[in-house]
Amino acid sequence: MSIFRLLASRILFSALTLLLVSILIFLILEALPGDVATRILGREATAKALEVLRSQLHLDQPALVRYFQWLGDFLRGDLGTSIATGRPIADVLGPRIVNTLLLSLFAFAIYLVLALIPAIIQAVNRGKMIDNVISVITLLLLSLPDFLLATILLFLFAVAVPILPALATISENSTWQEMLRAMVLPAVTLAIMMAVYAIRVLRDSLIEVLRSDYVRLAELKGLRPRAVLFRHALPNAIVPALNVTALNLGFLIGGVVIVERVFSYPGFGTLLIDALQLRDIPLIKATVMISAAVYVAANLAADVLAVLLQPRLRISR
Amino acid sequence: MQKLIEVRNLNIAYGGAAGWTNVVQGVSFEIARGEAFGLVGESGCGKSTVAYRLLGYGTINSLVQTGEIIFDGTDLLKLGATALTRLRGDRIALVPQNPTTSLSPGMRVGTQVREMIATHRALPQGMTMEARIVELFALVGLPDVGHCYPHELSGGQQQRVTIAMAVACNPDLLVLDEPTTGLDVTTQRQIIQLLADLRARIGMAMLYVTHDLALLAQIADRVGVMYAGQLVEVAPCEELLSAPAHPYSRGLIASIPTTDGAERQGRGLRGVLRRDQMSTGCKFEPRCDFATTACRTMPQVLEPVTDARSVACMRWRDVVAPQAPVLVKRENKKIIGEPARLLSVADLNLSYGRPGLFDRLLGRTSPSVVRDIDLELYAGEVVALVGESGSGKSTIARAISGRLPPRTGIIRLDGAALAPALKDRSVEELRQIQYIFQNPDASLNPRRRIRSILERPIDHFGIKVDEKALESVLENVGLHAGYLDRFPEQLSGGERQRIAIARALLVNPKLLICDEILSALDVSVQARIVELLRSLKEKHAVAMLFISHDLAVVQEFADRVAVLYRGELMQLADIATLLDAPLHPYTEMLLEAAPGLRRDHYVSRPPAFPVSKAIPGVGCPLAGRCPRQVGSLCAETRPPVQVSDNGFIRCHLAADELATHASPADHSDFAGQVRSIS
Repeated sequence: MSIFRLLASRILFSALTLLLVSILIFLILEALPGDVATRILGREATAKALEVLRSQLHLDQPALVRYFQWLGDFLRGDLGTSIATGRPIADVLGPRIVNTLLLSLFAFAIYLVLALIPAIIQAVNRGKMIDNVISVITLLLLSLPDFLLATILLFLFAVAVPILPALATISENSTWQEMLRAMVLPAVTLAIMMAVYAIRVLRDSLIEVLRSDYVRLAELKGLRPRAVLFRHALPNAIVPALNVTALNLGFLIGGVVIVERVFSYPGFGTLLIDALQLRDIPLIKATVMISAAVYVAANLAADVLAVLLQPRLRISR
Repeated sequence: MQKLIEVRNLNIAYGGAAGWTNVVQGVSFEIARGEAFGLVGESGCGKSTVAYRLLGYGTINSLVQTGEIIFDGTDLLKLGATALTRLRGDRIALVPQNPTTSLSPGMRVGTQVREMIATHRALPQGMTMEARIVELFALVGLPDVGHCYPHELSGGQQQRVTIAMAVACNPDLLVLDEPTTGLDVTTQRQIIQLLADLRARIGMAMLYVTHDLALLAQIADRVGVMYAGQLVEVAPCEELLSAPAHPYSRGLIASIPTTDGAERQGRGLRGVLRRDQMSTGCKFEPRCDFATTACRTMPQVLEPVTDARSVACMRWRDVVAPQAPVLVKRENKKIIGEPARLLSVADLNLSYGRPGLFDRLLGRTSPSVVRDIDLELYAGEVVALVGESGSGKSTIARAISGRLPPRTGIIRLDGAALAPALKDRSVEELRQIQYIFQNPDASLNPRRRIRSILERPIDHFGIKVDEKALESVLENVGLHAGYLDRFPEQLSGGERQRIAIARALLVNPKLLICDEILSALDVSVQARIVELLRSLKEKHAVAMLFISHDLAVVQEFADRVAVLYRGELMQLADIATLLDAPLHPYTEMLLEAAPGLRRDHYVSRPPAFPVSKAIPGVGCPLAGRCPRQVGSLCAETRPPVQVSDNGFIRCHLAADELATHASPADHSDFAGQVRSIS
């Protein structure tokens, strides 16, 4: 199977997944008690006023029609209007997404370092003291809930040794140094939470690859240990860790919500929580769809990367 | 003779849960410049451990207790990591056992060769890297495959790549670790041919590690025979094969199946190597036919007996004394009466994988991997299905056993058509066909005791048996009731395969499908399983479909042979006819490639029209490889089936035409070879 066809079929399946998500979200929100019109006008609104608003918002139409209407608008890039603020959702979401994207990229960069280095150290020194020490640390971190880790880091680096700001509030006027400083704690928290899974997977797969025949041949070809590790072992060991990374990106979306909350970071996550608390249904729909899209895209990227790293997969069905 | 490398008194131990085990004891040998030295022995004898030490390599849990490996005036065992890295690949290079797993899967093969040259800065002056790589590929008989990934090459091509890589820096010594074990007979011979050729051209020394003495006969100058970590005999290759001086060498040679049609019963090795049951004296004493009481207590060490020969046996004079050749010409057994037809396969076409979404939209169908198979098996008959890997042998077995519903065709058992899918077959039909798999390590549940493994099919088919049945079936396969409470991992490979056979026999089947059941086993164990199968066939009248890539093994007990090539039956004949007058060009190729016990200077015959490949299902699958191809006819039209006395041949050439073109290697040679060495 050519890469092109593989890609085409994966994209098709991704689109189908997103369609299913959209249906599910629509149904769930539909099943919630109360309607948007009452939410906007309050409990004291007259029946007449409600009637008018409902027809304005097309709430009097059947659910199926409204679903397709929403989907059509969404696909055209019209995300609707936020009920809570009355502003277009795209305007509310835009800067928040940018903020979260920055945070996530930062976290992801730290994650790669945090996952690769301990795993390599462990695999190369398997069975030795350092391997066991790192194993215990990762296990410990694995069992910590994310908000607790965030709070501990907050206490350590903002209270006990105040070198970083406790609140990660940034605005459009912040300089990039300020932004970077503000993002360190939330990003490190996210990175650690993701890395602990990946370290364990990567360590095991790297140990297995280091035992393989091709690594032995590479050694016996007289390649320097570093070349054996980085050219022959790592590219093949990383594949199982890729899937974990894709799942991790999914975690990142969830983790970002909590971590942003702890550090009061004005990102997508805080917006989602606000939207839920205010029952801002159009905003909930938009944010959930975007998270789902990110999740699906991450898995798609992991699959494609796995195929690129393993030419063998290109011929399998 | 100038010594290139010398191993002195090497002792290696492996650490395990139960402390240290000696795996290599007092091994000493040397290899001269340009010499090919063979190291032979059964699995677990320590031959690979020794070979890898020559590259300064050992697994983490192994420990060199004493010994020296002198190469170029330095002791490799005392060399630091950096110095070893410089040496490896450059002066001593490895050709690994399994090229498929030994080439880095994500890297183009050209890059892997380039890496070797670049690391050791071994690019000849005035030559570009690209030119050198192409030259190396040409040297091993490959086109410029540098841009290919390993999985895009066949096993034989992959092994050529590793050889090209190994010789890239013109090393002084090439260590070859069973380099042809996973390959087909014909490919194996081509690789051996290539290695002999390379040696003549480049003049490097070789350490060739293998379990196959017949292969060493083709390439080695001298051979060391290893048993239980010790060298028991070192001798020039021809001398060793014609007159082995150690009882173990002798048994090993007798176990080798050859295509000469001779029966050599009772001369193979008995027992297996058990490191826990070793006497303080000679390690081979428990299995030795020449043993005396003195052997049990007196350790035997390698001592020179002639100029070029050393033996570790005090009774070597008795062993080497010539014996009357035990050659019994195969009798053409005439089948008495009309046997009942058990299995008939008619017009079988098989393909893998259901068409995907795109294929269905475009109306494409996947090509058949097996085409137009017609095969019949009579009750109590052994039919061998022989072919190279990928020829569809196991696919046919899968269809017969119901694990792969055929695309077209009918499979009948006892005259009644079998349902295509396993789940639609009746319990009774399932019972009558039993399957034995290639690898007993994988086909026996490691967490169950032998008793429960054997009881499983009995329970499943609701057969009423008593405790005696288990014991007697174990006896039938040459084991005893003591095995019932053991776990598979406590058994040797041969014993495990016996359990697998016992499990199949317990439900009293009419047909046994044996899928390469010997290929994972040592030669001496193979020989005994063949004995077992032969006696089962005589005692129980069970029919067998015996799948194998090895004609030599098959000829020992098959009645008829079906030769398969790329999914089509090329020839069906009874075994005597096939060996005496193979007729079909492909069968001839297979027979010629099987190594005899004497250097035969095999040269593969070039195909007549190498470019004309046939589209599967249209022309003859052998087109483009066949030395006797008749022009474009073969690639374009389906060869006709020519029915003969006891089978058929699928070829464009008529039977008498095929017979008149006598092949260059006369087949009477095979019998001659063995007679002369016995």
